[in-house]
Amino acid sequence: MNSALLEVKDLSIHFGGLHAVDGVNFEIQRGEILGLLGPNGAGKTVTFNLISGVYKPTAGEIRFDGKRIDGLPPYVIAGLGLGRTFQIVKPFSTLTVLENVLVARGIHRYPAASCLWTSWRSRKEAGEAMALLERVGLADLAQRKAGLLPLGNLRRLEIARALAVGHKLLLLDESFSGLRHEEITQLEALIRAIQRDGITVLLIEHNMRVAMGLCDRIVVMEHGKKLAEGPPAAIQQDEQVIEAYLGRKGEANAS
Amino acid sequence: MSSYAITILTLIVIQAIVVCGLNVIVGYAGQISLGHAAFFGIGAYSAALLSTQAGLSFWSALPIVLLICALCGLLLGLPSLRLKQDFLAITTIGINFIVQAVFLYVPFFGGALGISGIPRIRFLGEALKGPSFLYLCLACLALVMAICWFFTRIFAGLACFALREEESAATSMGISPVRFKLLAFMLGTVFAGLGGSLYAHYMRFVSAEDFSFPLSITFMSMLVLGGMGTLLGPLVGALILGALPEVFRPLAEFRILFYGLMLLLMIRFQPGGILGESSLVRKRIFPMFLRRRS
Repeated sequence: MNSALLEVKDLSIHFGGLHAVDGVNFEIQRGEILGLLGPNGAGKTVTFNLISGVYKPTAGEIRFDGKRIDGLPPYVIAGLGLGRTFQIVKPFSTLTVLENVLVARGIHRYPAASCLWTSWRSRKEAGEAMALLERVGLADLAQRKAGLLPLGNLRRLEIARALAVGHKLLLLDESFSGLRHEEITQLEALIRAIQRDGITVLLIEHNMRVAMGLCDRIVVMEHGKKLAEGPPAAIQQDEQVIEAYLGRKGEANAS
Repeated sequence: MSSYAITILTLIVIQAIVVCGLNVIVGYAGQISLGHAAFFGIGAYSAALLSTQAGLSFWSALPIVLLICALCGLLLGLPSLRLKQDFLAITTIGINFIVQAVFLYVPFFGGALGISGIPRIRFLGEALKGPSFLYLCLACLALVMAICWFFTRIFAGLACFALREEESAATSMGISPVRFKLLAFMLGTVFAGLGGSLYAHYMRFVSAEDFSFPLSITFMSMLVLGGMGTLLGPLVGALILGALPEVFRPLAEFRILFYGLMLLLMIRFQPGGILGESSLVRKRIFPMFLRRRS
């Protein structure tokens, strides 16, 4: 059958008269890194919020692993193995970094009655949460209060939490923004390692160099519609995409 | 101990039980409730009616009282799913006034005369009064605090903390806001109901004005003073605010003024309360004890 992990068909959402996402179609194949690009206000984050269940679409359908998920609440979609980060980081500020990851590790406990008697303070839970923190390079800050971390570390914490949830698909919303050069290199390596583990990644990115280097395929959005889709090299040459970013009449050197 | 001191202590312990319940809702789950006296009242009136009208003992009525409180908590916790912060605060104040009005105006609840003739609690054939009643209250407080301690260690408790900090992030990690907010409300109101039941059998008389809005403010003041989200905060807050009015009897008129001033100062200078994170007590006084021991 179809090998696509996520299928988005004719997806639309209207806020009053604003067509934030308007008839968007795309698929994510298993194991690929798909980039979602576009100018500010193109509807990328809204698309993320539709996929993760924050908003209900006005029309269209979303299939995840063959199952329809549009209209399901976010906590149910998360339980299917879809983890996400937020563009504006949302740490549990008064909890420690380790506890932040433990919250995410409870993903399969919350729907069951066993969450009423299972302790999150066991050595086993802490060990597995520490393994995730080591992966994103935050292990030495595990006992720090999350609210005290600088932005770069908070972005990594977001990824650690998303990894605990998303064993199938990871949605990364501008995880690279605000990072220093060496942090970007580390994060690129981390995302490639995540891909090698068989986890599919959908990312929103503004940093072109990062997006072109990392993604297998790219979907470009503008004004709520899909503008182009294809491998990075083709996207770079796409007339419409260049126009969307740089404007019409590309007399200036658009490279 | 004089019987006066025992009376004051008993009331303080009962209030500490109720404030523990408020702590689950406000401190752990981050939902505002300014109508907790209503649930205290629902517990007291249920116990009063079941013992005077149905002839049940404290013990056989207790499960029913707690069930009634849990259901009321579930029902009145529903607004918390749609309302946030100030709006929830105002709604819970409204709930307090409505519940009090129902007690006052519905004849079934005794109207303005309240309910009198509530029997004493009997335990092993003995009627509990004075110190023995205080011991029962202390045992209940210990049980409630043990449940609170346990709650902070299970995944359901962790889910409440996450909802308190960042609801949208929590839902993206499989946490249903409906389920865990209602759980916190239910646990909180069950503790209030237990306190109310003890109160009814101790005073042996209940009337609507015992559960008015200023009492909700008192509960909230105790919690803020002691430290929201801490285990011992409710006890410390109840002890201080329960004992102070007795020490400063002549100034009783100014009590509410004092509470208001205290809330303001606490929120400005010690938002975590006496026992909260980075409070003066934690930073200055705890280390002194630790150093002495080591």
